[in-house]
Amino acid sequence: MARTDHDERRDQHPGPPATPSRRTGRGRVAAAIAVFGELLITAGIILALFVVYSLWWTNVLADREAKKQGDQVRRHWARQGPGKLDTKSGIGFLHVPSMHNGEVLVKKGTRTETLNDGVAGYYTKPVKSAMPWAEKGNFSLAAHRDGHGAKFHDIDKVHEGDPVVFETRDTWYVYKVYATLPETSKYNVDVLDAVPKESGRKRPGRYITLSTCTPVYTSRHRYIVWGELERTEKVDARRTPPKELR
Amino acid sequence: MYGWIWRHLPGNAWMRALISLVLVLAIVFVLFQYVFPWAEPLLPFNDVTVDQGMGGPR
Repeated sequence: MARTDHDERRDQHPGPPATPSRRTGRGRVAAAIAVFGELLITAGIILALFVVYSLWWTNVLADREAKKQGDQVRRHWARQGPGKLDTKSGIGFLHVPSMHNGEVLVKKGTRTETLNDGVAGYYTKPVKSAMPWAEKGNFSLAAHRDGHGAKFHDIDKVHEGDPVVFETRDTWYVYKVYATLPETSKYNVDVLDAVPKESGRKRPGRYITLSTCTPVYTSRHRYIVWGELERTEKVDARRTPPKELR
Repeated sequence: MYGWIWRHLPGNAWMRALISLVLVLAIVFVLFQYVFPWAEPLLPFNDVTVDQGMGGPR
């Protein structure tokens, strides 16, 4: 491109031009500007590709991985008789009908590498999550809002009174949402407490906490949804889902 | 820059267009496979957990 400019300019000025040194100097400046412009265009394209990567490609990879791991857990359940629960590959599946995202595998821990597989993780720190089958406590989960499966993308569609169902090998745990916190500090670890006071509950009980980032496409704040266990149902031979999921 | 690359590719215009396409696809592959996965955790777009700041898990 630079050379064309340069050539045209030369064509426009026939006859004795300015000193040769000045002409090449101007050509060099034009060439440098052209390269700079192309670098800027390249940077723009790379940033656009990064957006495509974050919001689309990571979902493709994570959904594929989550499906694989989920199938593995289900096969494991089908094969294995009653016995010790295998927490490594996943403890069960979360169903939130108002998020319209099907089932979400729940695994131990909230490390980035775990959550990037398109699963939800239960907290091991800073506040250790209770298990759903524990007598008392708060079952606290985190998952991605965007990218990497975006399992909690529609967390803002979850309202008070909506059911949240957690499925293990033997039991359906049916929770009911009783409070949401649309925006809180990312350092607000109190939301994970065994009795999450901010939700309005004062007594020990069997709670569930969903956490993800907000607003969408950023990590500035955290979005919290609290539920309380309503009842449990035994899983039957055909794994008939509870009426909330039908 | 791109003009320079184009002029240095071998073959006629079709051949050059084909090589350019392959080069572009190769660059996109390298970006998606290696560069973006490396860059993503360094950018503050995808932290979803509550924690105690720098000391906590990210």
